[in-house]
Amino acid sequence: MADEDVQKTLAELSRDLQESKARLEEAQRVAHVGHWEWDLESDVVVWSDETYRIFGLRPQERPMDLAAVRAMVHPEDRESLYRGVDENLVDGVRPEAEFRIVRPNGELRTVHSVTPQRWTSTPGAAKTDASGRPYKLFGTVQDITDRKRAEEALKQSQFYLSEGQRLAHMGSWASNDLGIRWSDDLGIYWSDEVYKIYGLDPQNGAPNLKRYLATIHPDDRASMAETIRVMHEQRCGCDVTKRIVRPDGEVRYVRCVGVPVFEGGVFKAFHGTTMDVTEHELLTQELRRERAYLTEAQSLTHTGSWACNLFTREIFHSSDENARLYGFDPSQGTVPFDRFYNGILAEDEVALRAKLENAIREGEDYDIEFRIRRTDGAIRFLRGIGHHNPSQEMGEYVGITMDITERKRAEEEREKLRQLEADLAHINRVNMMGELAAALAHEIRQPIAASITSANACLRWLARDPPDLERARAAAARIEQDGNRAADVINRMRSFYKKGAPPERGIVDLKDIIREMTALLRRETVRHSIKIHSELDVDMPTVLADRVQLQQVFMNLMLNAIDAMRDTGGELTIRSRLTPERQLVVSIGDTGVGLPAENTERIFDAFHTTKPQGTGMGLAITRSIVEAHGGRVWATANQEAGATFHFTLPAKPEADA
Amino acid sequence: MKSATVPTVFIIDDDRGMRQAIYDLVESVGLRAESFATGEEFLGTTQIGRPSCLVLDVRLPQMSGLDFQRRLAETGMQIPIIFITAHGDIPMSVRALKSGAVEFLTKPFRDQDLLDAIQQALQRDRTAQEQQAEIHDLQERYDALTAREQEVMTLVVSGLLNKQISSEIGASEATVKVHRGHVMHKMRAGSIVDLVRMADKLKLSPRK
Repeated sequence: MADEDVQKTLAELSRDLQESKARLEEAQRVAHVGHWEWDLESDVVVWSDETYRIFGLRPQERPMDLAAVRAMVHPEDRESLYRGVDENLVDGVRPEAEFRIVRPNGELRTVHSVTPQRWTSTPGAAKTDASGRPYKLFGTVQDITDRKRAEEALKQSQFYLSEGQRLAHMGSWASNDLGIRWSDDLGIYWSDEVYKIYGLDPQNGAPNLKRYLATIHPDDRASMAETIRVMHEQRCGCDVTKRIVRPDGEVRYVRCVGVPVFEGGVFKAFHGTTMDVTEHELLTQELRRERAYLTEAQSLTHTGSWACNLFTREIFHSSDENARLYGFDPSQGTVPFDRFYNGILAEDEVALRAKLENAIREGEDYDIEFRIRRTDGAIRFLRGIGHHNPSQEMGEYVGITMDITERKRAEEEREKLRQLEADLAHINRVNMMGELAAALAHEIRQPIAASITSANACLRWLARDPPDLERARAAAARIEQDGNRAADVINRMRSFYKKGAPPERGIVDLKDIIREMTALLRRETVRHSIKIHSELDVDMPTVLADRVQLQQVFMNLMLNAIDAMRDTGGELTIRSRLTPERQLVVSIGDTGVGLPAENTERIFDAFHTTKPQGTGMGLAITRSIVEAHGGRVWATANQEAGATFHFTLPAKPEADA
Repeated sequence: MKSATVPTVFIIDDDRGMRQAIYDLVESVGLRAESFATGEEFLGTTQIGRPSCLVLDVRLPQMSGLDFQRRLAETGMQIPIIFITAHGDIPMSVRALKSGAVEFLTKPFRDQDLLDAIQQALQRDRTAQEQQAEIHDLQERYDALTAREQEVMTLVVSGLLNKQISSEIGASEATVKVHRGHVMHKMRAGSIVDLVRMADKLKLSPRK
């Protein structure tokens, strides 16, 4: 064989070697695996390029020896690593080691070093001298920092998971059978915590469908079986809370959440969690019960509860009843503050706002009453009580709102009744005054008539020829007596007739009075078969008048009309109209006996009466009241039957009506 | 019977002052007056002389003036009444006047009105008294007739002729003439017309 061939062969071999080496280098670079050789005699260490890179150096940057390598190992790992090496060197082989290195830039990396084979049996890896003692070591080093970190993270998360499951009484499960095959075997995986929740022994493995359903409380069993069937058929998730019965008989609430897992659109399995929610469920039930009681109580008492910041107008809580008080439908979601606030009647809002602003500023509690227009248009009285906790933000209040309309109405009704009673008492008093006046008029008339007659007699005694002075004196004495008698009567009358309170003028709606009087006289009208019929001007203006006096006017005229129809029955008509001069004309007509043929005007005179029981005061009082109010009163005969009494009152000017 | 020349005015009024005043007024014009507080008092103590009249207050304590008026009429006591009242009304006065009251006066009244009413009442009473006297007289004459004469008088005033009367009573015409002469004489009738008027006053019912 020629040298040339040898040369050529050598050259080829050398090229192949170079190529192999290059490929090795490339492979090492891609896999982050380097190799090393350690000459135990010289302590010289030879590194591949990748090993240099792993250690954070440029390839072949500088020659390495053991000390240099040692210096790069993390101090904490250095001792154990080299002790191991020494022991291995004595006892044999340490095939691999894991340790941290510190790169020149300070970066920490974790590397894995492997000596592929025991050098004693594999000369390719370690070279031994004649005595069998190795003098050279060979190995690989791999940068496993990233893998290590992932492992750490996984371990960490697994730890957290299991710890979390334990703490949360939550287990996880997975099943790939459920949903693929409808069989007795659920093909399910349970985490330890699931076994714990169900009170089952993990040694016995996960239950099959039958055994699983047996753990469910009888009342929930059917629905759970149905849930599983639906999951299986439709491969849909679930979120159910059901009761289970543990082997020891304890009932627990368990929430089970499952989701189907798809890979590339293909169903793979169900994953899910199982939670023991007994405490939560019991608490929820308790809360629900409490809430139901509270809601019921709120609804019964028309009391709503709320919490809000009056300053920022933020509502934190508003009970259903609170919404209902204002006419909102609680099922339509939360109602913003302004919609509540805008329901308040404008005339109440000003005072309300002042009070609230003051309370907010002072941080004080408040208790207010106001009216609202509910969404259905009804006006309601509300009472709001707000409590401010000083530790809270400014304007933050919790409180209640109550509908006190019924109470208010009752109060008003009571007040009205009381007023009516007082008015009636007054009317009675006035009526009595009328009777009294009539009686007194009679009593005064007697002495006056007597003294006039005596005076006449006296004059006649004096006119005699000769005058009979004795009889004249006696007559004069009687005149004095009778004069004194009349004065006494008047004095007595005075003590009765303490001039009543001066008339109190106020805005009066005649419709109210007519309604009251109609109600008051109902018994009379029913008894005499009289129908009351009113034709009132819808826009009848109010008048400025003494309410009680006007009641008397109506009372007198209506009683008159009733009297006129006492024996026949009939219809009492009350009409009102407004003249262009803004005079309110009220007419009270009857279908009774009508007016006396003559002296129609005299019927208004005091003591003029056509009735056996009459005092003759009613119409006189009526006239004086009406005239005192700037109106007048007159009577007309009806065309068909009966009479109509009319009176006018000046209407209140429109400007301030 | 007392002297017819002294008329008496009876006054019933529960008001003493009024009663005295009227009493005095009546006396001041020369009439006799008697006053009472109640109607009972008046009925119990008084012999009613003629001519007289009664001034009666409508409103009396026990019995109203109107009721008292009715009661007087029932007992046949005929005395003209003047009502006075402190509070009269129209129906009341109408009722009073319909029941024969002379006047209805409201207190206080003008003295002359009362005195005029009193005079009117007394005049009415006087007339009534005269009528009563006349009837009394006629009755006496009538009572003096024999039964046959009374029978003949009734037939005469019924307008029968002597011949008819004769056949009626079964006597001769001459006998009838004699009876007739006696009747005219005893009754002091100047003519048949006179006799008819007397029969009328005596309320003799003529034969048909």
